[in-house]
Parts: sequence; C-alpha cells; structure tokens
Amino acid sequence: MRWLRDAYRGAAARPWRALASLLALLALAALWALAAQALWRSSVPSGLRLPHVGARSAFSSSLLSRSSSYETFLAIDRLLATVALVVALVVYARRGHRLMRESAAGRIGTGMMLGMLGFAVVWLAELPFGLAAVWWERRHGVSHQGYIASVLDGFIALGGEFVFVSLALLIAMTLAGIMRRWWWVAAAPAFAALALLSAFVAVYLVPQTHVLDRGPTAVDVRRLARVEGVAGTKADVQNVNRETTAPNAEAVGFGPTRRVILWNTLLDGRFGRAEVRAVVAHELGHLAHDHTLKRVGWLALFLLPAAALVALFTRRRGGLARPEAVPVALLVFVVLQLVTTPLTNIVSRREEAEADWSSLRATRDPAAERALFVKLAQTTLGNPDPPTWAYVLYGDHPTIVQRIAMVQAWRARNAR
Amino acid sequence: MDVSEHPVRLLLSDDLERDRLTVFFRFVLAIPHFIWLALWSIVALLVAVLNWVAALILGRAPAPLYRFLAAYVRYVTQFYGYYHLVANPYPAFSGRATYPVDLTIAAPGRQSRWSIAIRAPLLLPAALIFLGLAGAPAGANRARPGTNANYTVSLGLLNVTAFLGWFASLARGRMPRGLRDAGAYSLSYGAQFWSYALLLTDRYPDSDPLAAVPGLPVRSDPIRLELADDLRRSRLTVFFRAPLAVPHLIWLELWSILAFFGAVLNWLVTLSTGRSPNWLHRFLAAYLRYAYHVYAFLYLIANPFPGFVGKTGSYPFEIVIAPRERQSRWKTGFRIILAVPGLILTSVYGALAFVVVVLGWFSSLARGRMPRGLRNAGALALRYQAQTHGYLLLLTDAYPYSGPTREAD
Repeated sequence: MRWLRDAYRGAAARPWRALASLLALLALAALWALAAQALWRSSVPSGLRLPHVGARSAFSSSLLSRSSSYETFLAIDRLLATVALVVALVVYARRGHRLMRESAAGRIGTGMMLGMLGFAVVWLAELPFGLAAVWWERRHGVSHQGYIASVLDGFIALGGEFVFVSLALLIAMTLAGIMRRWWWVAAAPAFAALALLSAFVAVYLVPQTHVLDRGPTAVDVRRLARVEGVAGTKADVQNVNRETTAPNAEAVGFGPTRRVILWNTLLDGRFGRAEVRAVVAHELGHLAHDHTLKRVGWLALFLLPAAALVALFTRRRGGLARPEAVPVALLVFVVLQLVTTPLTNIVSRREEAEADWSSLRATRDPAAERALFVKLAQTTLGNPDPPTWAYVLYGDHPTIVQRIAMVQAWRARNAR
Repeated sequence: MDVSEHPVRLLLSDDLERDRLTVFFRFVLAIPHFIWLALWSIVALLVAVLNWVAALILGRAPAPLYRFLAAYVRYVTQFYGYYHLVANPYPAFSGRATYPVDLTIAAPGRQSRWSIAIRAPLLLPAALIFLGLAGAPAGANRARPGTNANYTVSLGLLNVTAFLGWFASLARGRMPRGLRDAGAYSLSYGAQFWSYALLLTDRYPDSDPLAAVPGLPVRSDPIRLELADDLRRSRLTVFFRAPLAVPHLIWLELWSILAFFGAVLNWLVTLSTGRSPNWLHRFLAAYLRYAYHVYAFLYLIANPFPGFVGKTGSYPFEIVIAPRERQSRWKTGFRIILAVPGLILTSVYGALAFVVVVLGWFSSLARGRMPRGLRNAGALALRYQAQTHGYLLLLTDAYPYSGPTREAD
C-alpha cells in the first residue's frame, strides 16, 4: 500500500502536522457519528417487540410458492446483473482511459465524456438481465411493458443519467483542479446540496401525473394530512397502468413541494377505500417524519467517506483532476455503493417501519392495514418472507410478514 | 468538366444566364414535357421489369434495353434541370441531344446477380437521401377515424432551390450560382439513383456534393467551414451519440437564451453604429462555433466529444468566423426579412442532415467509419445552417452561400 507508506513517511517527517490532521479526522468522525445518531432516531417505540407471524398463517401455500419462485428469479437476475456491472466497470477502469482520444473537450469535458461512457457500458452490461426481468414479470402478469419499449425507455433515460453524471463530474473535477487532494471535503457538501435541490424539485420530474383533487381518496388525503401534522399536502396520481399492474405510491419533496404520488394501479378497484387510506397515511408518515430530508442527510454522511476513498484510489491516475482517473472513480464509487447497500437497506427499512407505525396511528384501522399487506403480496407477487440473503441485499422495506407483525403489535399495544 | 469516378456523371455547361420570360412561364412551358415524361415513364417501368429479368439471367443489362433506359434517365435529368432552373434552354424530347445539364453513363458492364436480385431493398437508404434532395410527394395520414387528416410535405432541396431561384432569376436575369449548384447536386444524385434502380450500373449512388457537381467554386466567405475530420468513428460513442449530446444540448439551450438577447443588442448597436461591438461579436462567434461543434458531433459529421466553450481550432468541424466588419445599415435593419429565403433553405438542409445522421449511424456502427459522401453532405447542410445562423446573429452581412464549395467543405 504505497499511499500508506507515503502517509507514514509524511507523518514521521512532520509529526505536529500529522497530529493536527489526525485530530481533525477524529473530530470529523465524531461529528459524523453524532449526525448519524440524530438521523437514526425513530418514533417507533424503542421497546416494541414484534410477535412472530408465520407466513403460512396469512398466505396460501400456492401464493407462497409462486411468490418465492417469482422473487428468487428476480433476486438472482439482479445478483448476476450486479456481477456484470462490476466486471464491466473493472474492465472500464483498466481500459476506459483509452477513450480519451475520442474527445476534444479539454480536461473536464473529457472527464464528463468518460463518465457518461462508463454509465453507457454499465447499461449495456446490465441490458440482458433487465430484459430477463421484463420477460419474467410479463410471464407473471406483473408487467405489460414490451421488450423494445423497455430497451428504448432505458436508452432514453440514459440522457438524464448522463446529465447527472456530467454535473457531478463537473463539480468534482473543478474542485479537484482547485483543491487537489482535498477536493472531497468540499465535494461532499456540494453533492448533498445538489441532492437537496433534486429532492425539492422531484415532484416536477415525475412523468404522467395529474392532481387528485376530488373523490373519496382526495378527502382522505386532506383529513390524514391534518392528522399527521402535514396539513395542506396534496396528492397526485401517476398513470403507470400501461407498463405495470403492480400498485405503488411514494412521498416526494419537502416544504412547499411535498407531495404524495399514488400509482393509478392502486386506484383501479382492486383495493378498498380503507386500504388506499392506509397507503396514503404511510406516505404522509414519510413526509411527517421528514424522511426526504433525512435521506439527504444519510447521503451526505455516505458521500463524505465515499468521496475521500475515491480521492484516495484515483491518486495513481493523477487524482480526479485528470480525466483518466474518471473510470477508476466510477468503479470505486459504484463498488462502495454496492458494499454499503445492506447498510442503506437497514436505514430504509427503519424509515418504512416508522411510516407504517405513523399510518397505524393515523388511521387506527389495523384490519385495513393487514388487508393491504396481504393484497400487496398478492398483486406484486412479493415474497412475504424472503430468504435472509435476499432480505439483506435487496430488502429496502420490512418484509410483508414483519409489517403484519407490526400491525399485530400496534393492536396489542392499543388494546391495553 | 467531370470530376467523379462514378459511372454516372453530371456534365454542367450552364452559364447561369436566364431568360426572364421563360423563367416566368417555366411551369406552363414544361407542361408538354410533363405529359411526355408520364408516357415515357409508363413504358420505362415495363422495360425496367423486363431489364431486371434479363439482367438476372444474363448478369448484365441487354444493350437495347440499356440504351432505352439510359436515354430515359438523361431525359429526366435534362427536363428536371430545365424545370428546376438549373439550366436555361428548352430541352429536347429525345434524351439523346446534348444539354447544359447532361449526363454521361458508362457502357453496361457485368453486375452481380445477387445485387440485381435484391436491388429494391438495397435502394432503401439511397431512397431516403433521394427524398431529402428531390422531395417527397405530399401525403396524408388519418390518425383516428373522425379526426382531421395530417398532411405532410417534404419539399426537397431541388424544389426549394427552384422556388427561390425563380424569384432571383426574374429579378436579376441570372440564377445565383449557389442555388444552381445545389440543384445540380440534387439532379446528379437523382440520376445516379435512377441509374442504379434501373440496373444501368451496379455502383451505389454517391451522396458527396463535392463529387457531384463539376467545377465547384473556391470561396472564402466571412463564415466558412474548415473540416479536418478523418472519417474514423468510435462505435461506442456513435451508439450512444444522442444521450452523450444531452448535456451539451442543455448547455447550448442555456447559452442560446443569452445569445438571443446578445443578438437583439447587436442588432440595435449595429443599426446605430454600422458595426458590432467587438466583445459582442466575439461572444456570438463563440456561441455559433460551439453550437456547430455540438451539431457536428450529434449529426456524426465529426467524431470527438466537443468542448463546452466553442474554443477556436478545438474541433475537426470548425466554423471560421471573420473579425467584425462594417455592415450595411439597410441590410441590418431588414435582417430578419432578408433571412427568410435562407431560413427556408436551412429547413431543407436540416432534413438532409437528419437523413445523414440516420444512415450514418448505422454505417458508422457497422464499419467504424463515416462514408465520405454522407459526411460531406452533412457538412454542406451544417455549413449552410451555420452561415444562416451567423447572418441572423449579425456576425456578417454576407448572405449564406447555398451551394457546395470545394475548399470550404
């Protein structure tokens, strides 16, 4: 480890400076830990114990078998896609700098091009697995999307990703040009600020939506928003029924742009009013507990060490100020993201559990919540009790069984 | 005067002089030729089918059929040359007499039977360029029962040069050379297209404007093109060309907003002082250079990813803009109205550039090289657009040159 040897020699030569750096790093680590602790707080009672719920008690064995086979295929497909992604990025990190001859764009422009081409290579590597997933979802009636449409959608979406990666590299390479080795100290807050901006305007980027301003669901949104302390929050309906049959919803934005987005597959009659109300309350729960902002906070906490590691690993190519370092930076960043996915899943599951708890408190209708989770498993073919490896790697929500257990826990707590 | 190696070559001995009377009545005068052309086309269609069968068996077009079809292609070229004001005298009906816009068609040679058998599908890419140059007939499509039909018309370069040339020839008694050469380029491609379709040759039509028209002028316009592209293309960046251009297009859009206000300011200052402020000229020139770096990249006219600042000499497709000069206040005052013909031609060249990028994309992906003909056709289209754009931005008061030029392209 050459960098370690260099660091040791540097410290031996200037011990006071090394000590000051060490103290600064320790202070940074302490601040990091404090911030993480603040973000980790949850309104779910800390002593809450979830009762054991057997999947077989809530679901038929045929559904369990079908959903298990469905999700196992998708999880393996995703795992293989991840392997392909890493292999593609390793090859790109070794050879990608040769593509510099295809640019006349100067230092930063060339870096942007290499970043975009890295994403393009990743898209190509993952394409067969994406198509396999579409085939599997079509086979199970979960997706209506055609293969060509799926490829074209992905290709067109690359344009948006390219803008994102270009902007990120513009910031990082400009800072690296000015601050050299310490660019990451300024880059992490800059990226966090961008993420904050992106979260704020996200509502305007959701395609094919219309405002939900009439009907019983609109009435429920208004009432529940008052109950959860986010009065005035509006809801939009997103038309997705051409692509999928799966129901879903999300909470986006914060402050004046906070919004609940309901997929129209949730409102097609398969779910009763009480069940839709539970979904709305869950999403409002996210907004009530500032999960959008908390996610930006977590991202900032991730970005600080991630950017530092990118800076460290790109030194051999002259640092991120040089375009030839971009393919390596991409590899390091993506690998870090993959490695930390189980940790981010833990955070995500905690927030989802808090939103579930918030929903139960707002609707006070555990029967509807339970019915919702059962129907969600049936309509999405989500495995109510997935194997541990799939849960750890891909589970960004509590399992359906855990969510039903939380309903029972709430019921027991409120029956006392 | 022939400059091309292609077996079907355009010969041009037109002196640009036009008789105002025959120009004014050109359409009416052409009516007998239209009738004759229709009759000849029916017979030519039947002969073409016979020629296809015979060529498939013999491996070459039989001489009598070849002579008939060659005369037909010559006649079509001569008549369309007359009708579209590429030449002045009234043409003969035989297709064998000489004419200021004429063709030489090489003697029939052996052709691959495979190429003869599948000639129709092979024609498809050439047909796209042909439609871009010669225009497509007006069509209508009805999206849903009960809704209004949408009519689409593709004018084509030849028709637009004739339309603009009609006014110019009436006014000046001369056809502007750029318009004449652009029309001649379209005619040359059309002749090669029909010769290939009718099995007079097995050489694919060449879309290169530099090879199409003999005796092209060398010009040094205030806004001109310097092309240093080596035709090599990276397959990876070609495949992802459109998404790769997205950050540039966003940046260009933002820059365009500033350039718009800059152009308005430039108009006011140039109108009052007779010349652009130096800083504004430099800013608008950088904008124009950058915009056409991006378009050249997007349209596959050049290979490397361009920079974001429009730096001089930084790209193989370089729009060279002369330093500011005095400009006529009259031309400045009426600049938008004066630019209208240029804008009409720009839209037609835009359609040609679109065909170039579609065909060039497949070709570059397959061979890792952009065909020279397509590249030069695209370069001509973009160079004309850049000149029109620069004229509108008041970077010069020299009108855009509509034809191909030898050095500049």
